[in-house]
Amino acid sequence: MGKERCAVIGIGQTKYASTRGDVSMAGLVREAAYRALEDAEMTWQDIDAVVLGKAPDFFEGVMMPELFLADALGCAGKPMLRVHTAGSVGGSTALVATTLVQAGIHDRVLLVGFEKQSESNAMWALSLPQPFSVSINAGAGGYFSPIIRQYMEVSQAPELIGCLVAFKDRQHALKNPYAHLHQKDLTFEQVVDSPMLWEPIRYSETCPSSDGACAMVLGNEATADAADKPVAWVQATAMRSEANNFPGRNDVSPLASRQCAQDLYRQAGIQNPRAEIDMLEMYVPFSWYEPMWLESLGFAEDGQGWRLVEDGSTQLDGGDLPVNCSGGVLSSNPIGASGTIRFAEAALQVRGLAEERQVDGVRRALGHAYGGGAQYFAMWIVGSEKP
Amino acid sequence: MSANATGSEASSAGESASTTADGRLRADLVLEYPFNRTTGEIIGAFLTGLREGVIYGVRTSDGSIMAPPTDYDPNTAEPLTELVEVGPAGEVKSWTWCAEPRRQQPWNHPFAWALIRLDGAHTHMLHAVRVASPAEMRIGMRVEPKWNAERQGHICDIAYFEPVAG
Repeated sequence: MGKERCAVIGIGQTKYASTRGDVSMAGLVREAAYRALEDAEMTWQDIDAVVLGKAPDFFEGVMMPELFLADALGCAGKPMLRVHTAGSVGGSTALVATTLVQAGIHDRVLLVGFEKQSESNAMWALSLPQPFSVSINAGAGGYFSPIIRQYMEVSQAPELIGCLVAFKDRQHALKNPYAHLHQKDLTFEQVVDSPMLWEPIRYSETCPSSDGACAMVLGNEATADAADKPVAWVQATAMRSEANNFPGRNDVSPLASRQCAQDLYRQAGIQNPRAEIDMLEMYVPFSWYEPMWLESLGFAEDGQGWRLVEDGSTQLDGGDLPVNCSGGVLSSNPIGASGTIRFAEAALQVRGLAEERQVDGVRRALGHAYGGGAQYFAMWIVGSEKP
Repeated sequence: MSANATGSEASSAGESASTTADGRLRADLVLEYPFNRTTGEIIGAFLTGLREGVIYGVRTSDGSIMAPPTDYDPNTAEPLTELVEVGPAGEVKSWTWCAEPRRQQPWNHPFAWALIRLDGAHTHMLHAVRVASPAEMRIGMRVEPKWNAERQGHICDIAYFEPVAG
């Protein structure tokens, strides 16, 4: 941690949908940015710098969009930084913005994560052909399904744990007006009966493809102390990466993931995450990643994460460790924004502003994002107390 | 500037691998994705205007007219909503000769790219001027659009600009 404290002052999100045909890319990011500025009770003029995060540029076919979006985000004459760490980018964008404030370089930073996936086809964009190789997977699910099968084998988890997660997250999404999927009539049986896309991942256990943007205004201590609305203090930040293909790699619980979480808890002085963290927003694009990440982040012993799903611990209603009250990535997935949404929803919970999806008495929440072949990780802990 | 061909999926390179004369493996790799673009209200109105044979700019925060328009002020970031008709003729601010056109450019014979300040606008629009040689291009010359008979809401609904007669 640097010398200056950093807090989340304002949060803004767009309505997530498979196609936001009503706005251009500029219109999409401005919708989130304006809402964050309003929430922070600020204007464009109050912002010192902008950090823009997005996943691969060929998802929209506009190379280096941060250049053409600079003036749309009030950044004429101001510093603009672009962050790109694949699927974890939404989180690492928040971390870069935090660093600018903690290092005392800027007092107030606007950060935006976005994706306008309707402008191309993200599934094929994630299935690049390799010369001299036969193509064996289509889309991200094709990459993760064998890893999930490995977890199911080693943990001996009941087969329907993934379906429980998918059903839970879609129920949570009903309380989030921004969520893409609002499946009011969905039943657990329908989740189970949904066709297999990449065995063992069903269609119902897969994230949607969404357009959307999420923005936050981060401020230094003086800015946060002057804010009328409650703020969320950044108590810990960590980012780790590893190669996705090396001998002896633990694909199910990558070393980078575990070390990232350990660094986070060390910074925040947390000995027992299960007892000391009140809720989680984790990046779960395929249902089984909830129990897998619970283990990797130290909330359950290896092979036991699925029990927290089965016994209802991760539910908003009645659970003592609610996970993804926003509906999670399973309910909205604009890839470049999804990490920002996790970090923002954690902050929203700490600020007590999560409305219908609010967990009572959240003092500390964890935001998590991952990307690539489960190889890039970004995490933060936000809380109601100054670090 | 010409309309892009779209609609191809990513193609596998495996089938086209071959061995070169010196024994190296060689394979083509073609990356193709279908792209489309959402315009939003102001650029959408600009393109719809082109289909109707009208060019629109937008009034910015300081009162000046920007053509082509965006839906936000580039200096203040405030939203912009007031469309104003400009042109159709204008003045060449700057130009460059395209001696060897590439595949997706307007024509396969040489032409001039030009920044054109349409009458009533304070900013410049990039388009193409159709003249036989660079000798016919001059900063400050007046040009007017030649509209396609069939238009679809695309920048190429203006087939080219040409010198105003007289």
